[in-house]
Amino acid sequence: MKRNRIIIGIALIVGIAFQSCVSVEAYQKIYLNDENMELNARKVAVYETNFQAYREGASGANGGKTGGGCGCN
Amino acid sequence: MRMQLKYWLVLVLAGLTSMTSAQETFKELDETEVNFLFNYYEQDGNNGAVQGGRGTEELSNVAPSLIVNIPLDTARNLMAYIGFDKYSSASTDRIDDPYLENVNLSTASSSDTRFYTNINYQRKNSAAKVTQSYKAGVSVEYDYTSISAGYGFAKESKDQNRELSLSGMAYFDTWQLIFPTELRGTDGLNNEKQRQSFNFTSTLSQVINKKLQASFSGELVYQTGRLSTPFHRVYFNDGESNIFLKERRTENLPDTRFKIPLGLRLNYYLNDYVVLRGYYRYYYDDFGITANTFEIETPIKVFSTLTIYPFYRYHTQTAADYFKPFGQHELTDEFYTSDYDLSEINTTSLGFGFKYSPIYGLARFKGPFSKKTGKVTKFKSVEVRYADYTREGNNTNDPGGGDLDAYSLSFNMTFTF
Repeated sequence: MKRNRIIIGIALIVGIAFQSCVSVEAYQKIYLNDENMELNARKVAVYETNFQAYREGASGANGGKTGGGCGCN
Repeated sequence: MRMQLKYWLVLVLAGLTSMTSAQETFKELDETEVNFLFNYYEQDGNNGAVQGGRGTEELSNVAPSLIVNIPLDTARNLMAYIGFDKYSSASTDRIDDPYLENVNLSTASSSDTRFYTNINYQRKNSAAKVTQSYKAGVSVEYDYTSISAGYGFAKESKDQNRELSLSGMAYFDTWQLIFPTELRGTDGLNNEKQRQSFNFTSTLSQVINKKLQASFSGELVYQTGRLSTPFHRVYFNDGESNIFLKERRTENLPDTRFKIPLGLRLNYYLNDYVVLRGYYRYYYDDFGITANTFEIETPIKVFSTLTIYPFYRYHTQTAADYFKPFGQHELTDEFYTSDYDLSEINTTSLGFGFKYSPIYGLARFKGPFSKKTGKVTKFKSVEVRYADYTREGNNTNDPGGGDLDAYSLSFNMTFTF
């Protein structure tokens, strides 16, 4: 039940956010092109993503590993 | 006169055409970029799974790696990621120590090295706004080998404000099973088991307005094969108080696992000095783990060349159905583990990073390819990141169980050729 509520909540947030989108022209993307605005984790953070995947039961949806390799230490 | 005009017209057109094609031919390629990365990681806790959920979890890891990004032409790109992890682990030292007493014992299993490499070939069709990528990788350590292959497809909208990407990865792992010495039986170390993981990811990235963009990721992960770690001991509730006589077996988990992580990333350009980067993940798997993860990072531009970014991450998860602390599993349990990575925990990660990237780089010099390419090598930027990690157990009947402290220090030096 709680899980369904969370999934519905995420879907609502995504839906509302994406509904309110405006078309941004290429010449208006000066802020969006800032390197801190990249929609990826930083390269230097890859190690943390890996050890978090080992030390926590949950992983994925962040560009990190979700399979492969042992990670058993 | 008319003939002459025609002649000049043809000449001008020909000239213009040749200029256009010359510009296309000599369109500048992106630079080859090389990242030298390095990480030092250290952890300590008192719930080593090798010892059945008790004993040291002390571990240190040194991990240098190299990412090379080579534009082959204006449409094709090749990326290689190579590195190794050199770790020393006090808990794996206990695999050959059945009585868990020899604190100063040193065996070959106390340290190991994992080598890995991943290759990603990408081809972009600018007219169709489609990018396809082909991935392959291999990872090798003493008792474990993993081979991976994958394919990715991404389609951008006409106005480049939206992108949908779909990708699949398959991992084929081979594990040489090393059981604790007293549970090794007659097979010794001559056991091999397979594990396969299949991962399907879809990501929708969307520009919301001039200062806000978001991405939503959904993954399906299916794992099959040997999912339990052979050298993890589990002690049972058999009424025996003497640890030497207590019933113990190696960890046993189902041979399939299905995971669904859903991630939402939201970046907002607050002003010329501050950017807000937010991340949330919901996670579910059929081992019984449900997790929520929040992360916020605030890059602050101190100068145009220097950015510092404090960050905070909070993670909370429920325990796997098969987890119980030391000595609490029933002898009739089908599946069992005392690995606190699968227990009920809350973790926090607090840290900061900084990136220094002057417009003309930190240094410029003639590199190994300068003669051939006519370009100088530029030491473009340096980035340092530190994270302090705390894990707190939240397990009933085991106060304090699962606590662990760790820290991580990483560097990234970027060069272009």
